Amino acid sequence: MIHGPRMARKQAVSSQVLLLLWALLLAVTPAREVLAQPAAPTQYDVQAVYLFDFAKFVRWPAGSGHETISICVAGQQVFADTLTRIVAGERVDSHTLSVRLVQQPQDEAACDILFIGSAAEGRLDSMLAATNGKSVLTVSDVPGFLDRGGMIQFLIVGNRVRFSVDLRPVARSGISLSSELLKVAVAVKGSAAGEGGVQ
Amino acid sequence: MSRQNASLSARLTRMNLLVSGVVLLIAAVAFFSFDLLSFRNTLIRNLDAEAQIVGDNSVSALIFNDQQSAANTLKSLQRSPAILGAALTTSEGTVFARYGRPNLDQPELHLLDVGETERVWSSGTHVLVAHRIVFQGKAVGVVYIAAQLTEIGRRAREYVVIAFLILLFCMAAALVISNISRRLIAQPIISLADTALLVSRDRDYSLRAKIDADASEIAVLVEAFNTMLAQIEQRDAALNEARTDLEVRVKERTAELQVANRELEAFSYTVAHDLRGPLDAISGIAFLLAQRAGNAGDRNIGPMVDQIRISTANMGSLIDDLLNFARATTVAVKSMPVDLSAIALEISAELTRSDPGRLVDFVIDKTPEVLADAGLVRIVLDNLLRNSWKYTSHHPRACIEFGVKQTFDAKQTAGGPVFFVRDDGAGFDPTHADRLFQPFQRLHGKSDFPGTGIGLATVQRILSRHGGSIWAEGAVEKGATFYFDLGAEANPGRSAENRTGWQEL
Repeated sequence: MIHGPRMARKQAVSSQVLLLLWALLLAVTPAREVLAQPAAPTQYDVQAVYLFDFAKFVRWPAGSGHETISICVAGQQVFADTLTRIVAGERVDSHTLSVRLVQQPQDEAACDILFIGSAAEGRLDSMLAATNGKSVLTVSDVPGFLDRGGMIQFLIVGNRVRFSVDLRPVARSGISLSSELLKVAVAVKGSAAGEGGVQ
Repeated sequence: MSRQNASLSARLTRMNLLVSGVVLLIAAVAFFSFDLLSFRNTLIRNLDAEAQIVGDNSVSALIFNDQQSAANTLKSLQRSPAILGAALTTSEGTVFARYGRPNLDQPELHLLDVGETERVWSSGTHVLVAHRIVFQGKAVGVVYIAAQLTEIGRRAREYVVIAFLILLFCMAAALVISNISRRLIAQPIISLADTALLVSRDRDYSLRAKIDADASEIAVLVEAFNTMLAQIEQRDAALNEARTDLEVRVKERTAELQVANRELEAFSYTVAHDLRGPLDAISGIAFLLAQRAGNAGDRNIGPMVDQIRISTANMGSLIDDLLNFARATTVAVKSMPVDLSAIALEISAELTRSDPGRLVDFVIDKTPEVLADAGLVRIVLDNLLRNSWKYTSHHPRACIEFGVKQTFDAKQTAGGPVFFVRDDGAGFDPTHADRLFQPFQRLHGKSDFPGTGIGLATVQRILSRHGGSIWAEGAVEKGATFYFDLGAEANPGRSAENRTGWQEL
């Protein structure tokens, strides 16, 4: 293309001008304050926040609509408390949120999001079986959760909390997950692109 | 065509070019400025839209703390060559992800104020757009995009080229138009100027400037000019008529005057001539009477007859003077080479002989010949020298000079040499010098110096008939000097051309 040399010349010129611009920007930028960071959040704190954030990227099937998105926690009381603090006063698409500790079997059927902590690993399979086909988003940090039929599994990657998704149980449940959510997942199983497709 | 006319049309052309050039330049600058401004605004709006898209695509990455995903999203800005770099910050302001061209430092970002959703910082060539990312009613971060506005510069350069071309084209058009307008406007003015030039140079007021068919101001001007010319012509004619009329009248009057003068002179000549006869008779009879009285031995009669003879002699000289005076005005001037000094010598000898008892030195220089009437010039010299002889008579010793005045002075303008007759006699009071040359006017009493008072008047009449003049200098008892010249025609040594040249000097 005849544009080739012209573009090259342009860039050569612009990189000089650019240094100037950055210098200018530096000059007018007020010293950025380093915000005081609170005490480093634990893995569970981050998982609790993510659990709340998932609600923003999930659409439950029509008809199951209710005023409140109920997030159920099976296992740790502490986790449920943390989550309760996080969702207090929050709304997702005009829905309020509530947090409930699942203690009795069959309770999980009424949940919108079900988190199964490692403390409740013993009841995991029965709970998955109970929610199978129902519009309940199942989340856990138990290793191998996806292989046992779960939807979202928390992972620790490079000292950060990440998650993987298995779309097959999601599809069965009638829930739809935002592509935005899938974009940031470490791995997405059962997508059209094939097993184990990552992003 | 004259130079002024050429400069007029050149000025018209220049003016046309200047006006169209300036108008065009202003229009081009205004239009292109507006266009560049709106282009710039469009660029910035596009950038802002881009920031919004990037922000929306980065929501999940920000929420789930996925820097890799955010970086990938920012990378999509690669397709836009104007974008130099971009950054994502969390709502707390820490940089979450960056994107930038190779070899570029990352920008230190400006911060949005709390509650501000977007802002644009721009310099002449660069722009920084900040856009807050809001998700579910919550601010999750800010997108910054830095871009260069080189596109604007490129467009501006294109505009300069276009404007230059348009200007060039319009200048050519203006040249053509100014040529046409030159024919329409300048040509009538030029022809008017040409006519004005001809009129003022040749003084030909019968010329007229051409009038164009259209009734423009120039036509009005030309018409006014023509009207003015007509008026001048009319006035000229009237003036000429008046002048010829005046000339005719002057000629008539002059002729009448000449006739009257001639008659008067003839009359006085006749009277003087006719008086001479009886006077001669009286003189002769008185002589006879004296003889008879001598024979008879009557001694008383002798002195009385002498009185009669003296009186008749006086009267005779008066008549002679009057005849001279009359002749001076009537006789035709016949010019011939005359040696004034020779005549002066003759007269001086005559005077010396008439009264040998007086001690008078005559100093007579040799003077150049002049063209004059010999008879009349003799009367002049006779009068002047006799005057000097007379007015030195009370002095025991006297000197009378005749010669040519050597120094040039203003009175010589008549052209010929200036002669003088000088004496050291009684002189005159210079305050009455103007009366010297009037007939019958005398500055001295008749008892002191006898005379008729007509001599100098005759002299002046003769000299003026030669085209010359006479004037006198003197003081009481300090002598008198009479200067005279015989006019430009008197000098035989000069050719006509030389004479005129000298006159002009």
